[in-house]
Amino acid sequence: MAVLAAACGGTDTAARESAQPVSGGSLTWGVETEPTTLNPHLNGQSNTHLMLRNVFESLLARTTEGGFVGWLATGHEISPDGLTYTFPLREGVKFTDGNPLTATAVARNFTTMQDVSYSGGWSAGPLSHLAAVTARDERTVVFTLKDPYAPFLDFAAGFPLISPAAWDKPQLKAGGPEIAGTGPFVLDRYVKGQELHFRKNPDYNWAPQSAKHQGPAYLDEVTYRFLPESSVRTGALTSGQVDLIEGVSGNDAALFRDNPDFTYSTGLNNGSPYTLYWNATFGPATDERVRKALNNSVDVNAVLQSIYRGERTRGWGIASSVDTLFYDKSIEGTYGADKAAANRLLDEAGWTAKDSDGFRTKDGQRLTIELVQAQSTVRDQREVLLQAVQAQAKQNAGIDLKLSYVDLGTYSELRKKNAFGSIANSDTITGGIDIENHWYPPTPLGTLNYSRATDPELSTWLRAAASTTDTAERAKQYAQLQRFAIVDKAYGLPLYIPENQIATGAHVYGAGYRPYKQLPENAYDIWVDRG
Amino acid sequence: MTTEAIAPEVVTAAVDSRRDARGGTATRIVLRLITGLGVLWGATTLSFLGVRLAPGDTVDVLLGEQQRTPEVEAAIRAEWGLDSPAVVQYARYLWNVAHGDFGRSYVLQRPVSEVIGSQAGPTSALTGAALLVALVFAVVVATSTAQRRRSRAIANAVELALVSTPSFWLGIVLLSVFSFQLKIFPVAANKGLSALVLPALALGLSLGAVISQVLRDGLERALDEPFAVTVRSWSVSENALRLRHGLRHAALPAVTLTGWLVGGLLGGAVIIEEVFGRPGLGRVTVEAVLAQDLPVVLAVAILSAFVYVVISTLVDLLYLWLDPRLRRDARNGERR
Repeated sequence: MAVLAAACGGTDTAARESAQPVSGGSLTWGVETEPTTLNPHLNGQSNTHLMLRNVFESLLARTTEGGFVGWLATGHEISPDGLTYTFPLREGVKFTDGNPLTATAVARNFTTMQDVSYSGGWSAGPLSHLAAVTARDERTVVFTLKDPYAPFLDFAAGFPLISPAAWDKPQLKAGGPEIAGTGPFVLDRYVKGQELHFRKNPDYNWAPQSAKHQGPAYLDEVTYRFLPESSVRTGALTSGQVDLIEGVSGNDAALFRDNPDFTYSTGLNNGSPYTLYWNATFGPATDERVRKALNNSVDVNAVLQSIYRGERTRGWGIASSVDTLFYDKSIEGTYGADKAAANRLLDEAGWTAKDSDGFRTKDGQRLTIELVQAQSTVRDQREVLLQAVQAQAKQNAGIDLKLSYVDLGTYSELRKKNAFGSIANSDTITGGIDIENHWYPPTPLGTLNYSRATDPELSTWLRAAASTTDTAERAKQYAQLQRFAIVDKAYGLPLYIPENQIATGAHVYGAGYRPYKQLPENAYDIWVDRG
Repeated sequence: MTTEAIAPEVVTAAVDSRRDARGGTATRIVLRLITGLGVLWGATTLSFLGVRLAPGDTVDVLLGEQQRTPEVEAAIRAEWGLDSPAVVQYARYLWNVAHGDFGRSYVLQRPVSEVIGSQAGPTSALTGAALLVALVFAVVVATSTAQRRRSRAIANAVELALVSTPSFWLGIVLLSVFSFQLKIFPVAANKGLSALVLPALALGLSLGAVISQVLRDGLERALDEPFAVTVRSWSVSENALRLRHGLRHAALPAVTLTGWLVGGLLGGAVIIEEVFGRPGLGRVTVEAVLAQDLPVVLAVAILSAFVYVVISTLVDLLYLWLDPRLRRDARNGERR
C-alpha cells in the first residue's frame, strides 16, 4: 500500500495556514459505518453521528472543558432542588421542512421517546427520571424530574431533535429524507449500501457558540460514501477519489502523518475504555484473587505497542482520559503487569496444579475464562489484540482465556443466562451515564454491567454523584468508584481508549472533532480550496 | 442434476418425432415448476425452523443492551407479532410471503421487500457481469488452448493461480493497480458500467478458470472423436471445428458446473461488495445474519432457493437445446 501515496501532487503548507474559508463546492467523505437507521433517536452507532449530526441538532453544545453553551436553546437553568430544568429556546429557528422550532415541538421529541412502542427502550435509563416535559410558553421548555439526577443535563442537552411533521411519516423509524431537522445540511438522497447525500441548508443561522463560524455551511454538497474496507478508504483518498476519510488503520497512518499532501488527526473517544469485564458471578472469576491475577498477568502497554505500533492510548480507569470532568488520573500505574503477584494469587486461590498444556488446574478443572464478544462488534484489530492478551495470560500465569466470537443471538443468550466468563466492551456515552450503565446492579439500571458487580458501595457512590450538580463533587464520587472497581475488586481490565482518525487531502480545511464528545464533527465548519 | 447427460447413451436408430419431443419437453417443464414450488415451500419452512432454533430469543436480541422492563418487552412482542404461538406465526408468515409481503426488517426498520428490491439490482448486475467475464474467459481460453501443448500449460498455470486467489485479495490488487494508481476505474459505488468492470473481474475470473478447465477437458475429448476427423476431412478450418462443432459437444459438463457455480456467486458477492463499497444483497445478508435480523435472513433464504430453482431449470432446458439426443431420451423416458 505504501506505493500509493506517490501518485499525488504537492501543496504548500504555509499557504494552508493563511487560507481563508471559501464558500461553495462539494466534498466526498469515505466512511466505515453505514447507519442502520437514519432516525437519530433510534440509532446507537456512535460512528454514524458524524453524518446524522449534519441534519439533527440539540438544545446545548459542549465545550472542550465539558461546559455547556447555547445552541437551539440560549442557555439552561436548573432549580436549586435539582428537579426542574428550564431551556429558553432561540428565536427564529426553523426545521428544514418549514416548521418552526417551538417548545411544543421539542417537548414532543421527549414524550414520544418515553413511549416504548416508538423507542423500544432506547434511552430508558435517563428518561426513567423524567416526570414531565412541558412547553411553558412558545419558547420555553421545562423538564420536571422525579428525583435529582445530574446526568440528565448531558442527556437532554445532547438529544437530537426532529421535526413535528416527522411523527406521521410512514418511514419514521427508518428515517431518511422525509424526516427533517434544523441542521446546516438537508439529507436529500440515501442509496442503501452506497452513499448518503446532503445539500446545504441556505437558511441556517443558528450554529452553536462553540462552532468556528456562523451562518450557512461553507459546502454546497456533501456525499458520504460507505467504504467498509480500510485499505480501500486509504486508496480512495490517496488517488483523490474522496476528499476525506474516517477510520485509518494503524498501518496506513504513516502514509498521511507528516505528509504535506494530506492532513491527519486523531481524537480519543470519550466514554468508557475498551475493557475486559470479568464476570464476578460465574466460573473461576468469582474469586477476587483470580480476577486480580488476570489483571496482573497482562502487560497491557507491551501488548498495545506490539499490536498497534504505539498508535493507541492505554486506558486505566472507568472513564476515558479525555473526560476532563470525571476522569481521575491518579489510578494510572497503580495496578497490573505483575507476573509474580499473578502467580502468587493463583497459588493462594488453589489453582496450583498444571495440566499437560501448561494451564493451571484445581480439582482436575482447568482455569478457563471464556471471553465472549459479538462478531458484529469486532473492529479495530481487536481480534488480534485479544489474541495477544490471551497469549500473555497463558504465558505469565497459566490462565486459559478462551476467545469466543458469536452472533448476536448467542451473545444475548449467554448474557441472559449469565454463562460467560468475560465480555469486552467500550462505549461513547458521556455525562456519567456510561458509568451508571456499567456499575449499577445489572437489573434494572446497569445495562452494561458485565462484571455483574453488585456491591452496595457502587450504588451509593453513583447515587451520590447523580444527586448533585456540583461537578467536582460528582468527580470525587466517581474517583472512589473507579479505585474500588478496578484496583480493589479487579472487576475489569481496561485495555485502550478507542479513537477516531480523520485523514484529508490538503485542499480540505476545518475537519475536526466535536468538543467533549470527541467523535468526528459534522461537515459544517469544513471548506475546500482546490486552488 | 442430470449427470447421466454427460455420457448419453449410444444413439439408436429411431424415428424422431418432433411433436412427441415437444410434448416431453412441456411435461418436463411443468414437472420442474411443480417441484420448484415444493422446493420453495421447503426452503421457507426450513429457514423458518432454522431461525426459530437458532440460539437467542428475538426479544433479547431486539432489546440489546437496553433496560428490560415488562412494558418494553410487551411493546416489542406486539410490534413484531411475536406474541402469538409459533405455529400461528409460521402460518401467517407463509400467507404473507405468498402475497409478496416479507415483513419488516428488525434492524433497518424498513419493509424487507423494499430492502431486497433495492439491493437485488446491483447484485444481479454484478453476478451477471461476473458470469459474462467467466464465460468469455472460459470459452476463449479453452478453445484456444485445447490440445495445444505449450499454450495449454500456460493456461493451466494461470487458471490454477486464479482459482487459488481469494477474490478479496484479487479485488484489492485490481483496485490498487487500476483505480488507485492508473485511475482508469472508479474505486467504488454503483455508477455506470465502468464501476462494474473491476468487481466483475474480481468475482468472475476465478469462476472462469474453473469452467475453462472443465470445458477444455470436454473439448479435448470431443476433438478426439471420430466426428472431428470427419469434419476436418471437409476441410473446415480448425477454429470453426472447435467453435461450431467441438464446443457444443464439450459444453454439457461445463453448463452443469456453471449452473451450480452461479448459485455460489452470491457468496462471493458478499466479499466483493464489501471491498468495492458496492450496494448489494451479499452485504445485506451478512449484516442481517450477524444482527439476527430474521425477516431479512428468511427472505434471502427464500430468494436463494428461488434462484437455484430457476437456474437448475434453465440448465436442464439448455441440455435439451444443446443436445438433440436428450430430447429423444426425454420422450422415450415418458413412454417407459
